[in-house]
Amino acid sequence: MADVALITGGGNGIGRAVALKFAAEGIAVVVADWEADAAENTCAEIRSRGGDAHAVRADVRRAGEVKDAVARVLDRRGRLDILANIAGGSFYRKRLEELAWPEWKEVLDINLKGTFLFCREAAPAMIRQKRGRIVNTASNYGVTGSALRTPYSAAKAGVIGFSKSLALELAPHVLVNVVAPGPTDTPRVMEGWDPELRQKRAAEIPLGRNGRPEDIAEAFYFLSSPASAQITGQTLHVNGGWLMP
Amino acid sequence: MTAMRLKGKSAVVTGAAQGIGRAIALGLARAGANVAVADLQRDKAEDVAAEARNFDVTAIAVQTDVANEESVANLARQALGRFERVDILVNDAGIFPQARVTEMTEEIWDRVLDVNLGGNFLCCRAFVPSMRAQKSGRIISIASGIAHTGAVAGAHYAASKAGIVGFIKALAREVGPDGVTANAVCPNIINTELPRSHRTPAELHERLIRNPLGYAMQPEDLVGTVLFLAGDAASYITGQAINVNCGTVMI
Repeated sequence: MADVALITGGGNGIGRAVALKFAAEGIAVVVADWEADAAENTCAEIRSRGGDAHAVRADVRRAGEVKDAVARVLDRRGRLDILANIAGGSFYRKRLEELAWPEWKEVLDINLKGTFLFCREAAPAMIRQKRGRIVNTASNYGVTGSALRTPYSAAKAGVIGFSKSLALELAPHVLVNVVAPGPTDTPRVMEGWDPELRQKRAAEIPLGRNGRPEDIAEAFYFLSSPASAQITGQTLHVNGGWLMP
Repeated sequence: MTAMRLKGKSAVVTGAAQGIGRAIALGLARAGANVAVADLQRDKAEDVAAEARNFDVTAIAVQTDVANEESVANLARQALGRFERVDILVNDAGIFPQARVTEMTEEIWDRVLDVNLGGNFLCCRAFVPSMRAQKSGRIISIASGIAHTGAVAGAHYAASKAGIVGFIKALAREVGPDGVTANAVCPNIINTELPRSHRTPAELHERLIRNPLGYAMQPEDLVGTVLFLAGDAASYITGQAINVNCGTVMI
């Protein structure tokens, strides 16, 4: 039977690339996104390539919706082998003193609390199966920090700390790791970047280019595959050499 | 993931006569890569090369002291001569004669640093020019979790392995613009000749399974990560030290 993977934020950007990669590797994919249309669109693309996918709508900040989403996956597929928590974003570029409390909460909840909620709901099935992989998403900014992105940096550093603890809790049968992308050309990032600034940034990267969603998807697949069976609690940085922590 | 994803590539693996290096050389051959088995131990290197040929690849054994410039130059001549290009360099050759700092002779210190870290320098220096010229190449060095944690009676080893991590990061910056990546893999204790040499089987087993996964790592368990780093999937990963250690160290 094919492995079943649940991918949050699978409607766009990195999440979409991960969904397409997993499906191409024969994994049955469940695409979760708060934008139902985007999730459906990813699934349609997967099915047009002969893959197996279905969509669930969920806002990762809402415990009830997350619980329902995981329950529906288990009802329909009978198992859950891989959870890729990719829903996230930095959303605001603001100095700390200008940040409203709800804005702080929004960034923390989407990036960190959403990861916690999905892990909490998915872990029991993985423990029962004695088999599971969880791959969470951090960012180079979780390690280096970034001016105007204090909540995002805090949330992504939080994902790393959270994932190490969870790796210890879920050992030995469930492995938990983190992918930390560097500057990656997703549609959302491309929109917000001045092309000149992007080019300048690319020149600072040892491999000479920004990341592509497909580069990041390969790392998610590696950490979900048998090739990484002895890796847990680790953060894999995929950034062309921009950051070497 | 196709079994033969490195078909047509050529690799050099140092310290490949036994242990981790042997497993990696055979893993690369199984994935379709030609391999040069470099090791001080000529006969055992020949045996590994013969085993690699079972996978229908070209394999040669080259007696090599990675801490000797002439010997490494010979390795480069043999490998580049036979394969015409080298796509993958795996630096695994290493030694770990235990000694506490207060009892450590200068000879032991020099030998560990020369082989473990100097060997990385000499081998990378020998193969980087051709990788640059072909605008592609993968350098993968086997470091150790001890680089992060240290170990009693292992200050020289820890220094050499932490040195590899620093060296690889600097090298990654130097060679990145030419399409060459450099990464390190950091295992913790693995069931090889080295830890077996100074422990009873019971002691060794107890030590091997002392990790969050309760799993005794074998040399073959590093192959998946090395193949990942050697393949197209990791073309955007460079300058990283990847821990493959069942969760023993998370840094």
